[in-house]
Amino acid sequence: MKKLIYFFLCMGVAIGFLLTPTGVSYSAEEPIIIGAPLATAFLYGWDAERGIKLAVEEINAQGGVKVGAKKRPFKVEVIDTRDLEPGVPVSEALLAVEKLILEKKADFIVGGPVRSEAALAAMDLLSKHKKVSIVTTGTLTPLYNKRVADNYDKYKYCFRNSNSSLNMMNEFITLLEDMKKSFGFNKAFIMVQDVEHARRGGEFMKKGLSDKGWQVIDMKIYPTGNTDYSLGLTEAKNKGAEILFIWMDMPESAVLLKQWSDMKIRAIPLGFVCAAEQPGFWKATGGKGEYLIVNVCNGGNAPAKITPWTMKFVEAYKKRWGLEPEGYGTSSSYMAVYQLKDAIERAGSIDPEKVIKALETQDLMGVYGRMRFDKSHQIIPSFDPKEGAVTCIFQWQAGKRVQIFPPKVAEGKIMLPPWMK
Amino acid sequence: MEILIYGIINSVTLALISLGFTLVYSISRLPNFAHGALYITTGYITWLFLNKFEGFPYPFAIFIGIAITCIIGALIYRFILIRIRGMEISEIIATYAIGLAILEGLRWGGLRGMTFTLPVFYPGTIEIFGVSVDYQRIIIVIVGICTFILLYLFTHFNKIGLALRGIAQDERAAMMLGIDSDTTAIISLAIGSGLAGFAAILLLPLGNIIVEAGYNVLIFAIAVCVIGGLGSWGGTVLASFIIGFAQILTEAFLSTHYQMVVALLAIIITLLVKPSGIFGKQKELEERV
Repeated sequence: MKKLIYFFLCMGVAIGFLLTPTGVSYSAEEPIIIGAPLATAFLYGWDAERGIKLAVEEINAQGGVKVGAKKRPFKVEVIDTRDLEPGVPVSEALLAVEKLILEKKADFIVGGPVRSEAALAAMDLLSKHKKVSIVTTGTLTPLYNKRVADNYDKYKYCFRNSNSSLNMMNEFITLLEDMKKSFGFNKAFIMVQDVEHARRGGEFMKKGLSDKGWQVIDMKIYPTGNTDYSLGLTEAKNKGAEILFIWMDMPESAVLLKQWSDMKIRAIPLGFVCAAEQPGFWKATGGKGEYLIVNVCNGGNAPAKITPWTMKFVEAYKKRWGLEPEGYGTSSSYMAVYQLKDAIERAGSIDPEKVIKALETQDLMGVYGRMRFDKSHQIIPSFDPKEGAVTCIFQWQAGKRVQIFPPKVAEGKIMLPPWMK
Repeated sequence: MEILIYGIINSVTLALISLGFTLVYSISRLPNFAHGALYITTGYITWLFLNKFEGFPYPFAIFIGIAITCIIGALIYRFILIRIRGMEISEIIATYAIGLAILEGLRWGGLRGMTFTLPVFYPGTIEIFGVSVDYQRIIIVIVGICTFILLYLFTHFNKIGLALRGIAQDERAAMMLGIDSDTTAIISLAIGSGLAGFAAILLLPLGNIIVEAGYNVLIFAIAVCVIGGLGSWGGTVLASFIIGFAQILTEAFLSTHYQMVVALLAIIITLLVKPSGIFGKQKELEERV
């Protein structure tokens, strides 16, 4: 009888031990919630969502984030800000951010809002609720980090690990100067979309190139949704343009590339062309986008060997989502989660003040180079991945996106279309 | 010469976009605000058949795309609009809501991104008087003109077409002669939707199939119809040429980004000078009074 009682006692203790949470590692710990306000119906929204989710899955699979003595998992809450949809007011995006903070109890905000106007407006909200945020996609305005620099105490919660338009202009002008040396080009024709960031980009390029001795033939501004560029292209052709500088985020810019190819314009297209970022662009244009040079803001948004982590990220993304990283916002969104993990672990807490200090002193070798924030909380850019975050400017060559700039991480040389040789 | 060639292309494009909207309004007095949604639906269905079924012939995919859109148009009238016929505000709200549901439904269902495209009918370009024009645009002009001729023949020499015209001219008199108003409305919605789809098949290979294009198509269709006179076929053609050439001239002599302003300015001027539009009959009596 004693043996039987002893047996049941042992069984009870064993079952009790198995059922108590002590045997479970992170899963019983309260998750750290990452709120991701993104325009999910658009490339810059869904690729960021995929990047964030991939990083969270990888981190959770390794046990989560070490916060003091505990390991806590990340949990992602995505909300559609709709801020890239035409006619949707900024207030919609702000409501989405507020919902993430108040209803979903987000501890950190990563991703958007995607449109600059919405991201700028959300800065006050983040400050009010003391939520640390890393903007990773869409927002290119230099005003974002200028605000942090001008009013640090209020906006110290806001970080950006992707590119700013000022830096992109510097990259473009450096690339064009290289092309001037290599091919003797000095005539540019600018074609931009009638939206604020594109108009400003066009004007900046016009001035920047003129200062460098380029002849800027004309700058055409096209309304959103325009589907015919024949007259502009004919003018560029007749006036001997050698570079077509394009800044457009509308899908119809694919029409421009098709017409450029059909009309065999003796000028190489180059710029910020949202429609040409995705791997599917080649098939969508029937290969007519070949030779187009595109800036996708951060390395790793197209395959390249920038750091040891870049191709590991590309392969992991392909395995998880079935295609290569799609464009602007993918690698930066992925990295933001790792930056947050690193900062939380070094801070030993999710307290915003401590995490801010940890992010400010962060020095991490990431997917697109060395990741450090400057005093305005902007990621420090560089043409060398050992010094800072590098961009990805690629050219479509035989169906592939081949990184051609900056030279230190280039995987191929610029090719000219046969009708330009 | 560039202005003349691209002016004609732009004008025929606008006429094709507006044709279905005009047809439905001229026959049934129904403002079909789902027009843009039906345009995109045809493109998406055709794309689906081309890309999801390997080796599916392009002409069959086009035929299925247009046929399904025709059926959707007929069903919209048979199950929804028939209940609110004659209540103009309700018709506008209902058709706009249907259009919105279709477009946002397509977006939700996966029509996102910029990689949805249809192949051109014939690749390449040709020089016409020194102006480079792609074959697809030439096809658009030729097919557009043929469509107008065929529609003219259909409404003047075909029994169904004559019935449609009869209803358009005087609904009560036509009904007394045995022409059923609802049946003609169903037919007009089906043909109007089919024409929206037909325009999509011709125009979408130049660009991408995107949800936003549905809204743009609706805006241009309304602009053309308001200027030409709601329900007037001749007015639609004339207004298409006015807006089409005005846009090209704006691009050539002013700036491309004023193109949309020109179209909207033309609407405002028309509404100020002749609210019924160039060939509009609807409010002519009121205007005279």
